[in-house]
Amino acid sequence: MQNKISIRNFSLLIALILIWLSFALMSDTFLSARNLSLLSIELAVTATLALGMLLVLLPRQIDLSVGSGVGLIGGIGSVLVFHYHWPAIAAMAAGVVVALIIWSLMGTLIVRQKVPAFIITLGGLLSFKGLFWLVIQNSTVPVTHGTEINLYSALTTYYLPAWGGYALAALIVGALVLSHLKSRRQRLKHNFQVDDGEMTFLKLFVAAQIILLFVIVLNQFRGVPLSVVILGVVAFVVHVITQHTPFGRHLYAIGGNEEAALLSGIPVQRVIITAFALMGGIVALTGYMQTAYAGASTTTVGDLMELDAIAACVIGGTSLNGGRGKVVGVLFGALIMASLLNGMTLMAVAPEFKYVARGVVLVLAVWMDVALSK
Amino acid sequence: MTDTAQLQLKNVTKRFPGVIALNNVSFDLQAGEIHSICGENGAGKSTLIKILSGIHAQGSYEGEIFIDGKVHAFATTADAESAGISVIYQELALVQEMTVAENIFLGAEPTRFGRIDWNQVYSDTRKLLDQYNLKLDPTALIVDLGVGEQQLVEIVKALSKNSRILLLDEPTAALTEVEVEILLDIVRGLRKSGITCVYISHKLDEVFAISDRITVLRDGESIATLRASETDKNEVIRHMVGREITDLFPRRVSTPGEVKLSVNNLNVSDRNRPHPVLTDVSFELRGGEVLGIGGLMGAGRTELLMHLFGAYGERESGEVLLDGKPLSAHSPGTAIERGMILISEDRKRYGLFLEQHIGFNLSIASLKTFKKQLLIDRNSEIRENQTFFDLLGIRAPGLETVVGSLSGGNQQKAVIGKGLMTEPSVVFLDEPTRGIDVGAKLEVYEMINKLTSEGKAVLLVSSELPELMGMSDRMIILSEGQIGGVFTREDASQEAILAAAMKHHR
Repeated sequence: MQNKISIRNFSLLIALILIWLSFALMSDTFLSARNLSLLSIELAVTATLALGMLLVLLPRQIDLSVGSGVGLIGGIGSVLVFHYHWPAIAAMAAGVVVALIIWSLMGTLIVRQKVPAFIITLGGLLSFKGLFWLVIQNSTVPVTHGTEINLYSALTTYYLPAWGGYALAALIVGALVLSHLKSRRQRLKHNFQVDDGEMTFLKLFVAAQIILLFVIVLNQFRGVPLSVVILGVVAFVVHVITQHTPFGRHLYAIGGNEEAALLSGIPVQRVIITAFALMGGIVALTGYMQTAYAGASTTTVGDLMELDAIAACVIGGTSLNGGRGKVVGVLFGALIMASLLNGMTLMAVAPEFKYVARGVVLVLAVWMDVALSK
Repeated sequence: MTDTAQLQLKNVTKRFPGVIALNNVSFDLQAGEIHSICGENGAGKSTLIKILSGIHAQGSYEGEIFIDGKVHAFATTADAESAGISVIYQELALVQEMTVAENIFLGAEPTRFGRIDWNQVYSDTRKLLDQYNLKLDPTALIVDLGVGEQQLVEIVKALSKNSRILLLDEPTAALTEVEVEILLDIVRGLRKSGITCVYISHKLDEVFAISDRITVLRDGESIATLRASETDKNEVIRHMVGREITDLFPRRVSTPGEVKLSVNNLNVSDRNRPHPVLTDVSFELRGGEVLGIGGLMGAGRTELLMHLFGAYGERESGEVLLDGKPLSAHSPGTAIERGMILISEDRKRYGLFLEQHIGFNLSIASLKTFKKQLLIDRNSEIRENQTFFDLLGIRAPGLETVVGSLSGGNQQKAVIGKGLMTEPSVVFLDEPTRGIDVGAKLEVYEMINKLTSEGKAVLLVSSELPELMGMSDRMIILSEGQIGGVFTREDASQEAILAAAMKHHR
C-alpha cells in the first residue's frame, strides 16, 4: 500500500520532469520567466477548479457542469460590469450568490431525488452553456471598460511587488516548517511512525528552495501573480477542511462507504449538498479568474474545463470511487495538466491534436488509478 | 485407509511474507464423506481452500496434491474445476438480475449454431434440480430468492460442472436455523449420491450434525483428525483454541434498572414491500438488561433495529420512547446523540471504512466530541482512539493500520469500538458474532456483560439459538413482523422458540 503510493508519487514527478524537459528542448521560451508566469496563472485557474472537484469526488459524486458554470458565472460578472456599470465587487458578489444557489440546488436534487450526479450535472453542462450564451448575447463582453483596471480584471493582471513575493515566500516556508514540526512532535508523542530528522529537514529544505526559486523566476517578469496567491489561499482552506474538520472526515467516510457513514450518524445528504455549494463558490472564483485571463467573456470560456479538473484530480491520486484524494496530489495533477496545455499552446500545436492529447492524458490517468488501486 | 483416499494433501506448507499460513499439513478425503475443517480465524482454513481450488497456484507452496492416487498440479481455478473440485463461497457470486437457470449455466451456455439454446438451459436445470430433489423454479430471478435458496443455486451450479468434490466455505453464515436445516439435508443427500464435501463452519452444532470426520487446524498446523461419532464439541474446541473453554455463554445477569426504551404498538411499513414490516410490536428494555430478539430470516429483526435507529421504514402508528421522551422521524445522527448505537451484522457494508485506518474508523461517529472551534483536536482524538484500541484488544500494529487488512474478529472489534466511543446507553447488536471465531466470540460476550454491568441496555439480534438463549435475559421472538412469543431465560427452549418464530407464518 505504502509502496504503491510512493510509486505513484514518484512516477508523477518523473512525468512532470519529462514533460518540462521535452517542452524546454522543443521550445526555448518554455522556461522563460514570461511563460512560467503565464503558466502559473493557468495553473492557478485549473488547480482552483480541481480543488473544488476534489470536494465533490471525495463523497463519490462528480460535477460535469463546472466548465459551463465557469463561463456562465464569469459572464454574469462581465455583463453586470460592462453593460450595467456595476462596480466589479458588487457584480462578482452577485455571481457568487447565483453560483451558490445553483450548486446548492443541484446538490439537493442529487441527494433528495436520488438522480445520479452524473446526469444532473450533465444537464447542468448543457443548460449552463445555453444560459451563458443568452447572458452574453453570443457576443464578447470585456471584464472592464477599456484599459481601466478593476478588481475583476486585476485577478490575472495584478502582480505582487518583488518584496511582496519574497515576504510571501518567507511566510509560506515558515508556516510549512512550523506545521511540520508540530505534526512531527504530535506523532512522536503518540508513538506513530515518523521520518527521521534528516529526511524531514531535507524535504523542507527542498520545498523551501523550490518556493524561493519560483518567486525569483516570477520576479524576473512582473512578480507573483495575484491568482497564484488566490490558489494558495484556496488550497490552504481546502486542505484544512478535508484534513482537520469533521465535515472533511465525513466526505471521506461517505465516499468510502455511504451506508456505514449514514449509520455512523453522519448527515450524508447535508454533507453532499454542502460539498456542491462549496464547488459552486469555487466555480464562481474560477470563472472570474478564467474570464479575466481571457480579458472578456466569449462563447468558448470554460470549455472542457470540467475534464481538466477531473483529470487533475485523478492524476493526483483522487479516486473516482470516492474516499481517497488529497490537496497536494490535486495541485500536482493540475500542474501536469496546465504544463501540457501551456506547452502545446506555446508550440502552436493544432487544436485537433490538443484534443487528442488531452483525451489520452485523461484516459492514462484513470487507467493508472485503476491499475494502482488494485 | 489412505490408499483409498479420493483426495490427498501431503506435507503442504504455504508461506506468506512473515507468516507460515500452513505448516506441513497432510489431509485426506474419502470418497463420499463429509469432512469438516474447524479452526479459529487465521488457523489456515482459507489458505487450505485456496490451495485446493487452485487460487494459490502449484509452486507457490510446498507439498503435493493427489487425486485418486495421482499427483495433480493446479495452476488455475479452472484446473481445479476440471479435476472435479468446486468451491461454494460464503459471499455469493450470482448475478442478481438473472434467473436461476441463467446463473447455473453462466459461462457454460449450451449453444446451437452460435446462439444460446435456452430450451436446453432450462430443461437441464430442471433435471439437475430434480436429481437433487430441490424445490427451486429455474425461471425465478435470483434477486427474488432468499439467501438460503441462493446458496442452493450456487451448489447446483457447482454440480452442473460435474464436480465430485465440493468445498463449502461457511455456507450457513447468513442462513437462519430453518434454512440451515434444509442445507444440511441437501449436503447429506449429496453424500448419498457419492459427492464428497469439505465443510467449513464456525458452528459446531452443524459440524457435528453432518460430519463423518473432523479435522482441526490451529496456527497453520493440522492438530487432529477425528471421527465425529467418537468425539464431542468440547474436545474439538479444546483442539481449536489449545485450551479448555468451560462456559460458552458467560452471561452474568445484572439487576435491571430504569426503563430505557419503550416501544408501544409499533407498526412500520416499507414502500418496496407489499406487507407491513412490523405489526403491533411492543416491548420495554431496561438498563442492565439484554433483550434478545429472535426469529427467522425476514421476520423483521434487523428492520426493527434499523427503524428504532432512524435508518429504515415509515412508521404507520405506534410510539417509541427513549428515556421517557418520544423518538420519531429521527436520523441515525439524532439516535446517536440521544444515546443509541447500532452495531450491525454486516460490518463490511454497514460498519467499516475498509480503505481507512483504524483510528479513522474508531472516531468517525464521535467527531463532535473532539471539536475545538471548527477543527478536530488531533491530540484528544488520538488519545481516545488509543484508549479504545487497547480496551478492545485490537490485534494490529497500531492505529494507522488499514482496517481492510485486519481479520474478521479484529474488524468486528473496530466496529464495536466505533459504537462504544459514542458513549451509548442503549446498544443494538445485530448478529455481533457472525463469522468470528470462538475466542473472539467470548470477548464479545464479555463486552456485553460489561455493558450491562455499567447499566447499559442491550438489544441483541441473533440467528444462533444457543447464543440467543445463552446471552439474553429475556427474549422476544418475531414472526412475520409480529411478536410470536416472549420468553425469559428460564422458560425458553429451542422447540418453543422455533414454534413462536413460525406462529404467524403466512
